[in-house]
Amino acid sequence: MAINVTPQGQQHVERLERVWTERPGLVGWLTTTNHKRIGILYFFASLAFFGAGGVEALLIRTQLIGPNGHVLSPAAYDEVFTMHGITMIFLFVIPMTTGAFGNYLLPLMIGARDMAFPRLNALSFWVFLGSGLFLYVALLQGHAPNSGWFDYVPLASKEFDPGNNIDFYGYGLIFNGIASTMTVINFIVTIFKLRAPGMSLNRMPLFCFAFLAVAFALLFALPSLSIACLFLELDRQLGFHFYDVAQGGDPLLWQNLFWIFGHPEVYIIILPAFGIATSIIPAFSHRRMVFFPLVALAEILVAFLGFGVWVHHMFTVGFSSLTYVYFAAASLIITIPSAIQIFAWIATILTGTPVFRTPMLFIVGFIVYFIIGGLSGITVAAIPFDQQVHDSYYIVAHFHFVIFGAAVFPILGGMYFWFPKVTGRMYDERVGKISFWLTFIGTFVTFFPMHIVGILGMPRRNYTYPPGLGWSLLNFIESIGAYLLAVGLVLIVANLVVSRFRGAPAGRNPMEGDTLEWSTTSPPPPYNYAVIPTVTSPYPMWEPQDREADDARLDRGEGVLPEGHQTPATTVQDAQLDEILAMPPHSAWPPLLALMITGVFAMLLMHHYWIAVGFGAVCGMTLLAWHRHGVEA
Amino acid sequence: MTGSGASERVHGSDAPAPRSAAAQVAAASVAARRRSQPNGWWGMALFLCSEVTLFGTLIGTYFYLDFDAHAWPPAGVKAPSVVLPLVGTACLLTTSLPMALAARAARHGRRANVIALVSGAMIVQGLYLALQILLFRHDLRDFRPQATAYGSIYFTLLAAHHAHVLLGILLELAVLWQVATKGLTNYWLIGVRATALYWHVVNVLAVFVVLTQLSPTL
Repeated sequence: MAINVTPQGQQHVERLERVWTERPGLVGWLTTTNHKRIGILYFFASLAFFGAGGVEALLIRTQLIGPNGHVLSPAAYDEVFTMHGITMIFLFVIPMTTGAFGNYLLPLMIGARDMAFPRLNALSFWVFLGSGLFLYVALLQGHAPNSGWFDYVPLASKEFDPGNNIDFYGYGLIFNGIASTMTVINFIVTIFKLRAPGMSLNRMPLFCFAFLAVAFALLFALPSLSIACLFLELDRQLGFHFYDVAQGGDPLLWQNLFWIFGHPEVYIIILPAFGIATSIIPAFSHRRMVFFPLVALAEILVAFLGFGVWVHHMFTVGFSSLTYVYFAAASLIITIPSAIQIFAWIATILTGTPVFRTPMLFIVGFIVYFIIGGLSGITVAAIPFDQQVHDSYYIVAHFHFVIFGAAVFPILGGMYFWFPKVTGRMYDERVGKISFWLTFIGTFVTFFPMHIVGILGMPRRNYTYPPGLGWSLLNFIESIGAYLLAVGLVLIVANLVVSRFRGAPAGRNPMEGDTLEWSTTSPPPPYNYAVIPTVTSPYPMWEPQDREADDARLDRGEGVLPEGHQTPATTVQDAQLDEILAMPPHSAWPPLLALMITGVFAMLLMHHYWIAVGFGAVCGMTLLAWHRHGVEA
Repeated sequence: MTGSGASERVHGSDAPAPRSAAAQVAAASVAARRRSQPNGWWGMALFLCSEVTLFGTLIGTYFYLDFDAHAWPPAGVKAPSVVLPLVGTACLLTTSLPMALAARAARHGRRANVIALVSGAMIVQGLYLALQILLFRHDLRDFRPQATAYGSIYFTLLAAHHAHVLLGILLELAVLWQVATKGLTNYWLIGVRATALYWHVVNVLAVFVVLTQLSPTL
């Protein structure tokens, strides 16, 4: 967008302002289809769930601070650790990365004015919110899922868990999966079709490659989880026998289906972090990413290979050793694309002129923890070792380094990095650095001793432990680390909240970022760009002649599209202009439909099957009404 | 490149609502000039990727349980009879032709052809669904999903397939209603193409489902 606006240009901008005015107030937020507003809704919703999951984590650590703890009853402990896992995976990391970061940034980075399906985007958010509240109603009722986030049968079968705890899990995850599927379809079409003219695939930012890989991985992984949950509910509600050995079923079927989803899920969690890292590192190293095409391919390869390794979660169930050797070898192959990316990041930092501001510190923390988590990952890919440490705290240490250290650190860094873009104000650098060190040290102190207690034999998921086993001191240190970590996280939120109101004005590009979002005002206007940007390289902000060309085109009114809510659609590979799309401005149907879908799941849970069918019919009619008011009447 | 040439093709949401005939001509001309598939087509294609994976999981489960079992189908359950399901599937497969022609007619703006072709296909699909429901009820009299894992996966797989056929028919009803009342606007032109794509995929899935269902006999 133009930096120096001339009077002619100003006329075009004013026209766009009028066409793209958003509805004010609460109704505006409820009926919005603007990707930035939906991204912000996702951000606050998933941050709230992060808070809930964090409180659950602190409860767990308080329970385990010393031997024979009795803060939580055994039953409450089961619910709390299960909800901690479900919340962090399904209600925090995925919606925060794909929902908040993806929604807000993807259309900006590719020079579009919205997502490909803006109303579907709104629907994804409201359905996600419905599923999150659905799961938390369970906790408030005291019937939260209680057999671990991977919910193994037969423990989760009707016989051993007769309440409706597990039904909240089964229905809740199918419900949540609907939201994620809609989101990723939207992402893929947006990336394929809405890139600004000139942004051929080889000029697309690495951030977008990472999100494309995530979207495909989710699209193909989620059906397996949904089917597993469907079988579970058919077994529990209608007396089917999918997981019942006595009648020809097999509990290992659950484990297979769950991990066919669950392992790609691990990369689904971490790939957005890779994408955020590849945005922050070039900006603060002042140079282009080393090995751009290799990194793009590695991102996609990680997502692809992630589908072939699921049995390494099941090394103790008794499959043939040939099966195990195959999956152990496949798991080790993942190190290749991972290492390509790690070396590319390190090489970019070392050969650039890095400045270690807060977002960059989080990325360095991410690289350190990803290496620690990756190395312990190699140890558990070794079958005999894994059979020793399986179901011990060693595993808990490994996946927290990977998930918290490697997936959440870039999210925190990304929050600082794009905060000026979203709010128009700068965060406090000094407090930012303090919050980094607290979080970094807190993470290490919390999770590193878990390796040792794990090797000493402490099993996971036990609500307490007796004294005299050599675990007490290490557990005490872990709990202190968890409190430190919580202080660090609260400080991050406090810094951002205070800076939102008191921060210095940020300007367009305070981070010297290289992607398109930095060319527009902070915060961006509802239409993102007054002219659809000119793109001739993967680093559009480092091509000053293109930005000058945008100024000139704004003067001439070329590429402004002032006739309505419009954005160009381009061809899939070469991004040649294909047609101009009319985008729906706002709609009340998405929140309404989400409410009806919530009704379906609530009625299923309460065994009112015919009322559920009724809600389903209303969903169909809502969809019909939605499409009657198509974008072009 | 996003200049005046492009704005001729625009049907903005704040422009006066185009009347049916004019909108239809304009939609057909946009369709003729389009170089890549429209967004709605891509959305349907990706949704179908998810559905194909879903059926892959169901069929995978069927054979997983099959290979675990001593007797498949278990003692006391007859192996499925072959003729009617195969004939039904063959009839269903033929509906891909009218659906493909309907998508083609939509691109050329031939509304009457679209309505006739989609209606014709829908009648065959409706008869197929009726036949399948009769067979399903007949099977339920012989063995129950609550009796064995074989019954559980057998009925779940078939019910999932029937639900997809039903959804396809509902999609066609919605498309027919909108095309009949509003004409082949750009929105519903893409709707016809997406529905045709849906049926091609459901038809291919029907082959895999019926071969799985009949695998103990075949």
